[in-house]
Amino acid sequence: MKLNRSKDWWLAHARREGDATIGAGALSLDAKPEPADQTSPIEAEETRIAFGRFVSLMRRRSGLTVERLAAAADLDASEILVIENGAHSTPEPRTVFRLAQTFQVSQKRLMQLAGLSAAKDSVVRQEAVRFAARSESVEKLTKEENAALETFVAILSEQDAKKA
Amino acid sequence: MTAEISTIHLLEVASNSGVEAELRDAIEDAQLTDWRTHWLPALRTVHEQLIKRGVPRNQWPQSSHWDWPAKVAQVEGLLAFKGFCVVCARVTQGLMRIDLNQIARESRQAGKPLVYVDYLEVAPWNRADLGQAPRYRGVGTALLAAAVVLSREEGFKGRIGLHSLPQADRFYRDSCGMSDLGPDVAYHGLRYFEMTSEQADAFLPEEDEK
Repeated sequence: MKLNRSKDWWLAHARREGDATIGAGALSLDAKPEPADQTSPIEAEETRIAFGRFVSLMRRRSGLTVERLAAAADLDASEILVIENGAHSTPEPRTVFRLAQTFQVSQKRLMQLAGLSAAKDSVVRQEAVRFAARSESVEKLTKEENAALETFVAILSEQDAKKA
Repeated sequence: MTAEISTIHLLEVASNSGVEAELRDAIEDAQLTDWRTHWLPALRTVHEQLIKRGVPRNQWPQSSHWDWPAKVAQVEGLLAFKGFCVVCARVTQGLMRIDLNQIARESRQAGKPLVYVDYLEVAPWNRADLGQAPRYRGVGTALLAAAVVLSREEGFKGRIGLHSLPQADRFYRDSCGMSDLGPDVAYHGLRYFEMTSEQADAFLPEEDEK
């Protein structure tokens, strides 16, 4: 689709917008209940996105297809696809438990990342956001993505080590 | 699919001058990455300020919790849905998802197919309702113009429809000349607007759009 208009046309119409905030859509259909803790919806969103990115990179680093990861973790492939696509849903606790076992990271921390339990501190969330921002959704795991993944795995593992 | 790109111009508010931008007829990975790495942090800053000021959550800016990756994933592979975006300075400035399954309600065109704007949102830094001067103006207009052009390409003669966010009601009515069909009780009380083919011709006269 091509749209050709002169610069003057665009600027005249831009000026007509004034300070109106232009938007459309069924906003309240997305409304979420207020969380019990003080985690804002945006923070929860960020950590869930990081969770999806984490699962995707760990799978790719292991050279697994979604189907093979599903078989290895005894999960449904569709559950993994939903998680990796960052779709707006919270995974089942069993799913997160199985993924934590498969990837050998802290189940408790992965639960927090998936939005199934409240974090007591902001370290995981901050690290998760940093990790997600450094990784791109491309086919091949880049050197930078691999480094970001290694750092994040270390953080997820570190928390349990401290606890022990 | 590779997005087709149209060169457009936005108004950079700080310099009060025009800047070149791209209107793309797809929402791709780059846009979702921008949403995650630019839009969300900007919205988080706004939310932190709202929490600090003690503003109740039900009074927070609307659309601030939209999850664009989910909105794209919901309709992936469905031909009746399309995405559009505006990119300027290599960052996504606005996003729109449209639905080709809807029909018109306005009496002059009731029952005819139209392009329904499912979701339209501009980047947080372009929103005056978040208590700041917008960085760019013209993003919403560009997305709306894209909906009109798509409507013509689909043979819908420029007819479009949408449920407006309250802060945009006046823009759709006065600046775009759309028909205001009033609050839609079946749609959370949002006002429903439609653009007829005549209104589309006034808003965006047909030129060489192929």
